[in-house]
Order: sequence, then C-alpha cells, then structure tokens
Amino acid sequence: MFGNYLAASLRNLARNRLYAGITIAGLAIAFSSAMLIGLYLRHELTYDRFIPGHERVFLLNQKIKPENKPLVDMDDSSANLAADLKLDFPQIEYAARMAPSGFPATVRRGSVSNSERNFAWVDPDFFKILPVPTVAGDAGTALEAPDAIVLTRSTARRYFGKDAPLGGQLLVDGNPMRVAAVIEDLPTNTHLVGDLFASGRAPASMLRKLDAAGYSANSNLTYVRLKAGVSASAMNAALRGFAERRIWPAHRLQNPNEKIDLYELRLKPLTSIHLQPADGGDPKPGADVKVLAGIGVIGVLIVVVAAINFVTLMTARAARRAVEVGVRKALGAGRGDLIVQFMGEAFVYVAVALVLAVAIAELLLPAVNAALQRKIAFSYLTDPPLLIAMLGAALATALLAGLYPALVLSSFRPASVLKGGPVASGGGGIVVRQVLVVAQFAVLITLVLSTVTIFRQTAFALRDATHTDKAGVLILFAAPCTDTLRDAVRAVPGVRAAACSSPMAVNLGNSQDMVEAAGRHVLLNYAPVDFGFFDVYGVRPLAGRVFQSDRPGDDGAKLANTSPTLMLNESAARMLGFKSPQAAVGHLVSWHFIRGLSMTNLGGTIPPPQKSEVIGVVPDFTFGSVRQPINPSYYYVGPKDDVLGSVALNIKLNPEHTTQAVSDIGRLWAKIGRGMPLQQYFADQFMLRLYIDNIIQGGFVAICAVIAISIACLGLFALSAYTTERRTKEIGIRKAMGASSQDILRLLLWQFTQPVLWANVLALPAAWLVMNWWLKGFAYHVSVAPWTFAAAAVAGVLIAWGTVFVHALRVSRARPVGALRYE
Amino acid sequence: MLRLDKVTKVYRTAEVETLALNEISLEIGAGEFVAIMGPSGCGKSTLLNTLGLLDTPTSGAYSFFGEDVARRSERELTVLRRDRIGFVFQSFNLIDDLTVAENVEVALLYRKVPSAERRRRVTEALERVGIAHRARHRPQQLSGGQQQRVAVARALVSEPSLILADEPTGNLDTANGEAVMALLTDAAAAGVTVVMVTHSLSHAAVAQRTIKLLDGRVVSETLLAA
Repeated sequence: MFGNYLAASLRNLARNRLYAGITIAGLAIAFSSAMLIGLYLRHELTYDRFIPGHERVFLLNQKIKPENKPLVDMDDSSANLAADLKLDFPQIEYAARMAPSGFPATVRRGSVSNSERNFAWVDPDFFKILPVPTVAGDAGTALEAPDAIVLTRSTARRYFGKDAPLGGQLLVDGNPMRVAAVIEDLPTNTHLVGDLFASGRAPASMLRKLDAAGYSANSNLTYVRLKAGVSASAMNAALRGFAERRIWPAHRLQNPNEKIDLYELRLKPLTSIHLQPADGGDPKPGADVKVLAGIGVIGVLIVVVAAINFVTLMTARAARRAVEVGVRKALGAGRGDLIVQFMGEAFVYVAVALVLAVAIAELLLPAVNAALQRKIAFSYLTDPPLLIAMLGAALATALLAGLYPALVLSSFRPASVLKGGPVASGGGGIVVRQVLVVAQFAVLITLVLSTVTIFRQTAFALRDATHTDKAGVLILFAAPCTDTLRDAVRAVPGVRAAACSSPMAVNLGNSQDMVEAAGRHVLLNYAPVDFGFFDVYGVRPLAGRVFQSDRPGDDGAKLANTSPTLMLNESAARMLGFKSPQAAVGHLVSWHFIRGLSMTNLGGTIPPPQKSEVIGVVPDFTFGSVRQPINPSYYYVGPKDDVLGSVALNIKLNPEHTTQAVSDIGRLWAKIGRGMPLQQYFADQFMLRLYIDNIIQGGFVAICAVIAISIACLGLFALSAYTTERRTKEIGIRKAMGASSQDILRLLLWQFTQPVLWANVLALPAAWLVMNWWLKGFAYHVSVAPWTFAAAAVAGVLIAWGTVFVHALRVSRARPVGALRYE
Repeated sequence: MLRLDKVTKVYRTAEVETLALNEISLEIGAGEFVAIMGPSGCGKSTLLNTLGLLDTPTSGAYSFFGEDVARRSERELTVLRRDRIGFVFQSFNLIDDLTVAENVEVALLYRKVPSAERRRRVTEALERVGIAHRARHRPQQLSGGQQQRVAVARALVSEPSLILADEPTGNLDTANGEAVMALLTDAAAAGVTVVMVTHSLSHAAVAQRTIKLLDGRVVSETLLAA
C-alpha cells in the first residue's frame, strides 16, 4: 500500500513540476531560514554554559538610583569588593576581578607588535572561577606569579608560532611577562572578551591602580564562585548588610551631599550576563531577550508562510485529484486511508524540502557567521538535540500543513466526482485559501514596516540623535594626546581641524563630580577637552562662546592657582537651575578641578571646590548610545599629560583629500608615535560599534522580510496561475458577452487585491504596536511615520499585482473562442 | 440478492429539490446480468450509485446480499464496497499517476491482500482482459478501449460479488465496445452479478434483463433470456 501511495505522490509531484517546485522551494527556503534563526537563538541562549559548574558562578551587579537621576544598572564594581566579599562570606569559594587594560595594551615579541584590545588583567583565582578548557599549563594556578600571562591558542600562535609556548616572554607595554598557560580560543557564546589574561599582581596591572581607588571607582568586574549547596538568594539577602557595612561608609565620605534613592548589590548568574545586560561594564554588548523572541517569532512566521503555500496549492488543485479520490473510495478506501495517503504526500514534500534546506543552511552559515560575528556550528549529525529539533519541526510542519488538504481531499464524495460533478467543499476551500493569503500578506507587510522602522531608527541614531557632525572625522588614539601631536597633525595637508579630548568626551567611560550653583548640588559628568574640540564636530554653542586659546583663563593647563572656565551642556544648565542657556552664561559654579587627573591616582584625594565662570552652553550631544539619555555634563580644557585627561585626537578631514590625509597621518605617526601601533577610526564607524546589534537586527529582519515576500510571491504566483486557468471558461464567456481585455485584467487583479487590502487592515495596527514597543527602548527615537504605513500598504498591493500580472494579462488577451473550447 | 424496497432519493440544494429515484422496488439475483436504460436524467446513475453503496437512499430499504444497508455508516459501507463490489465507469476513471498494473492493484490494496498474491492476481486479471503487455504503461498512453479493459480488469481483480458498470461502452468504438461486453458477459457467466447502465440497445440485449427508468421510476422490465 505504501509503495502505491509513494508512487502516486512522486509521480503527481513530477507531473506538476511547477507547483511542486514552488511548494518545495518555499518550504526549503523557509526551513533553511528557520534553521539559521534557530542556531542563532540557541547560540544566544547558551552563553557561558560551556563553563563547568556555571550554576555556582556569579558576577556582582549594582543598581544605583541617585536623587533626580535615572537608575544606573552596572556590571562593573569596585576594586575592594572581591577581597571584602571573600573576607566576609565563607560561602564564597573563590572571588576574583577582571579589568580591561584601559588604553589598549601594546604587546610585543621580537618584530611582532600589536595593540591588544582584548587584553585583561585578572586576579590569580580567575580561572578557578571560570575553568575554561586548557591547552597547556594550569590556568587555575598560572596567574599566582606577578609576571604570568595566559594566552588563547590562536594568540599563542600569533606571537610564538606554536600552541604551547610555556615560559615564552612577551613585553606588555614594555614590561616583560611570561606565558604560564594556554587556553583554548573562547567560543563566541561567552560574555568574556579576551585573548590575553595577565596577572593582576603585576606592578603595571590596572587592578593594582584600581586598588588605590577602593570603593570610589567602579572599573572592574567582580566574579565569585559559591561553595556547593550555597543558595544565591540567601547570599543576595546577606549582601544588603554587606553594602551598609563595607561600601556606604566610603561612599558617603567621598560624596557627602549625594542623595541615593536606591542601591542594590546582587549576584547575577553567569549565564544571565548576556541576556540581562547592564547599562555599563559588560565586556560585550548583551542581547535583548524581547528582540530574540521577535526573531524567533519571525522564524516561525516564515515557515508558516511557506506552509500556507502548501495548503493553498494542495487545496486549489484538489479538483485534479478528485478522480483519484473517487476511484480509491469506490474501490474501498476509507477516509482514514486517504488521509494517510495525502498526509504521506505532505511528508514527501517536507522531506525533500528538508534535505534541500540543510544544504542551503550549510552553504549560508559561513556568511551568516561573518555577518553576526559569531562562530556558530551546524553539526547536526553529531548534535542529537539539534537533529531531533530539526526533524521534529519538519514533522510538525508536515502534520499541520498536510492535515487540512488531506481532510479536504478525503472528503470528496465519489458518486459526484466520478461523474465529473462538482467537487465537495470547494466553497469552503476558497474561503480558507483567501484567509491564508490574507495571513501571508499580513505577515509580510508587518515585516516590511518593521524593517523600514528599524533602519530609520538606526540612521537617526547614527546621524541626527547624537547632535554632532561626525562625517569625515578621524579619531586617533594616543597615550596621551599632546599639543605636539595635535599641532603636527594640524599641519598635514587635508586636515581642516584637530583637537584632543579625554576618553569621557567621546563616551569611553565616564567620571562624575559634585557641582554646586546657587546652593544647588548636582552630580554632573565631566570631560576635559581641547580648544577647537566643539568645532571639529560642528557643535555650536546655544549661548556664550567656546574655549579660546588666546584667553588664559580658559586653559587649565596653564593656570597655577585657579580653576579654568567651564562649558555646560543643556541638561547640566537645566539641572543647575538655570532657566535658559543664556541665563547660565557668566554665572559662577563651584566644582573640583583635579589638576593631575591620571589613571595612577584614581580615587586619590579630591581637592577643595573652586568657583569658575560658565562661558557657554552647548546642546546635549553624545558619542554613546541613544538608548540612554544624554548625561548632564560640563567641559573644560585641562592638562594633556595623561590618557584620562587627553587620549583621543579628533581630526576633521577635507573630504576631497581624505585618503591622502589618512596615509600622511599614518606616516607621521610612524615617526612620532614612539613605536606604538597606530589606532585610528573614522568617528562614524567608531559609533557603529554601539549600534551593531541594531544593524544586525535590521539586516536580519530585512532578510527575513525578503524571504517571506519571496515565498509568499511564489505561492501567489502559483495560485494565480491555477486560478486564471480555472477561470478560462468563465473569461471566454465574459469576453463573448462583450468584456474587453482591460475588463478581464481588472477583474483578475481585483480578485488578488482584496486579500492584500484585508491583510493591510490586520498588519498595520499590529506593526504600529510592535514598532512603538521597540522604539520605547531608546531614550531618543524616531516616531512611527504615517508615510511608512501608506508605503507598506501600497507596496503590498504592488507586490501582489506584480506577481499575478503575467497570468492575468495572458488570460485577458486570449481569444474567447479558445477559452470556450477549454474543458 | 440485491433488493430495493420503495427506495427514494431526493437531492436538495438551497433552491431546488430533485426527485432522482421515486419509490423504486426491484430485486436482482446472484449471477444475474441486468441492464438499466432510460433517457438522460431519469435516475440511472443514481440507481447504480445506490446499488454500489456510493450513495444512500433518502427513504426505503436496501438489502445488499441479505444485509440491510440503507442506514449504514460510511465506514460500514466502505467495508462492504471493498469486499463485494467492482466498478466500471464510462470515463474509465483510471488514476493518471499510476501505471496500468498499479491501477488494477489499487482494488486489492484496501483489502490487505499480501503483495505476492496481489502481483499474481493483477497479472491474471490483465491477461484475462488481454492487456498484460501494457502493464507498465500509464493510462494516457493507452487507447480508450484499452483503458476500459484496464478498468474491467480492476473491477474483476478483487473477485467481487457485484460489478456495476456505468455506460462502460459509451466512450468506445464498436469493436472495443463488443470486447468489453464480452468480458462482462464472461464475468456474469462465472457467477458475478453485473448491473450495467447503457444507452445501447444492442449491448442491453446481451443482458438477461433490461430495466427501463423514467423520471426516477421503473417503467418496464424485460426478461431477455433465461
């Protein structure tokens, strides 16, 4: 029996190559998309699960809500935290810190020299908490020695040309360090970013510098591994008392005027770091669970769109199988037999599509990995859960898509169909098909609208929302950025302007100071800048003036006993109680001018407050993400002798000489850069790092929209071919009665326009809700524009017309005599 | 063996009610060859479908080989059809996607006949109708007469008690029509009850009895041969 069914299925499939091909192609494209989406989602949902005992590993997270300011959620914490936790809680097996190198470390061995962005200083117990797979040595004990460094396998190869160069020497910022262990390259589904992990005990270690800051800075990550059987929730409860005991006394001493509405210190599970990202501190951008859920829904929708093709084409063409059904029933087939047969056909279609989909997914995975910057594997043969999920999903699709056509086909009454009579349930079938086409188009209109909105928001975030003109601006990192370097670069042909700035000015870290004006105390961000900094980015003052090098009072580097003048951004002026930007200009504010601002004296004694004149107010601008509100900030020109005060040279280039200027600056750096690797980025590309997830999301949704549109168009194309063919006789009669070709064309196009109009009715409100919800995640965002809705609605109709036009035109032009002879 | 007692069949649509069979009573014996004649729309095919359990009467009683089947469920009718009836249609109704042999085999599939036996019986049936050499062809590759012979083979292969033939020669030329009639006559001679709807007087003459229908009623019965 099975052989007979299979023969009928395969031959039916072969005889109807167009329809079968369209159905299978749609299913194959949909399955491969769903596989890639599924692999991506699994990757995102399994961060750090490769670490043995990850259930007992936690990162310390802090939530602080200062009075009148938004809540800050940070994964970075203070240098003293790890040691104090270990002292106070015997439940903790190990506690260790990780700190980035600050300015990217220069690592050298012989002629190989690199600026290492993925360099971290870690406490000796770090790899006991996070026991990653090791290639050579014992990473758990390797970092006890102050000159020890642990490399990943590929970093070891990069410097030493071999996998296990134990004992090999590297120069880190000129200090010799010894390779004590080599670990496997980290997978991409870990929150860790690291190629080199150096012992925090090294004299040059950032952790040693942070030790001096105690609880006054939050610049490192603190990890703990709890002893077996210890409850995380009990620990969290105990951490409240710990904060009162250990953290607050130090904090209050430093900021006596600061009022805090809420403070919480808690353990964040290792596996939640990626899915519950904080506002600051995470080594990698986190994932947005809602967006992941959205991507998952899109994956399912694509399969649904393809399954709908299967249902519409199978039921539309049911009449052609009517004789077979009639004969089989007359010969004794029960309805169950026929349901089994037609369900079997669905399985044949799905099986063929699945094989094709696996091939497509394998072909596309390298490109997907490159685009997503991931290392996702697709080893379905050695990955039983993946294989089961794939087969299960295919089986479910076959069952769901096959059931309705099987029920329709098996319901034919043999007495009627064998005499060529009307096929039963045809009317119901037409309604169901219309509903399914409406559903398909609703999905694709929603996807088109989502794509457009995501791209508008990304463009807004990169161009308009930051209120700076970053076009043609090159940022060169120097340690530190000095007047000499700046002046040398200014002399390069093609350079229009150049100015140094602190890392805070370009949102690479932030520092805060308690500022007072007319009795009002406010915590403001501060950022030392250089003369001409605002000009480079086209930031014009709303009131007053910018810093001028010919005014001695503006230059903090040259003032011996007084503090330099200040500029505020609009938010800072407002928070200090000034009614307008103009009102702030000329007023004195009291602040703490740290003359020797430096990485080495972080957390040192804060000087007494001094009063300075506000000379100008600039609009709020940012180099950070528009997801967070722009911080109220003040700016001043300070000394340029340390990276904390001056790290970035911002260079505005003449667009006509960009290439030449960039290479000239490179040559200049080779001469005066003291052998340091050149690190320069175009400002707009530098901003891209903040929105890379947006761009990936936008690209993802756009690709999914194109896929869904293609599949839906394939289905509509086949359905229109079939429908016009079925209506050939009717069209002949209409033409014989005097209808013109245009009348017929209008009739057929209208038939396919109706479902698209209904789809708009469903899709537009849904898309409006979804996009408003998504945009709420940004502090600054575009609004959902009515024109995009109109455009999506029109696009839906045009797509439908474009798809069915060929068939409609052909049939409408046919001579009536030919059509009447049909059947 | 087949007995209809005041069988009425009414087709109802939203606007029209059609009386297709009007209190028909008749009896057909085992091994009998009966022809049904009448003008278009007189209810011939409805009668045949009712006899073949493809349709159920609106009222009246139908005894099918001793069983009252007028109120049986579709499932029970399916089982009876599978075990007792073979069909031959005017338009052959072969499944285009299956070969000749596979088409004939369909009649055995639902009876759970083991595959070796199926093959043997299909070959026998095809030889019996003289089309064994075309076993691997598709229906579209055969002439009308050849297709109808396949349809007869399909009806015979399950060794039914009853063969229902709806204008089996309607689409055939004279020679092929004669050949198909010969096959049906042979089946009747072998003890199979054959009920055939036909417009052809000469083919009706081959049957033992001719029943004439008009407007859903039996208007005459002619016994042609003993």
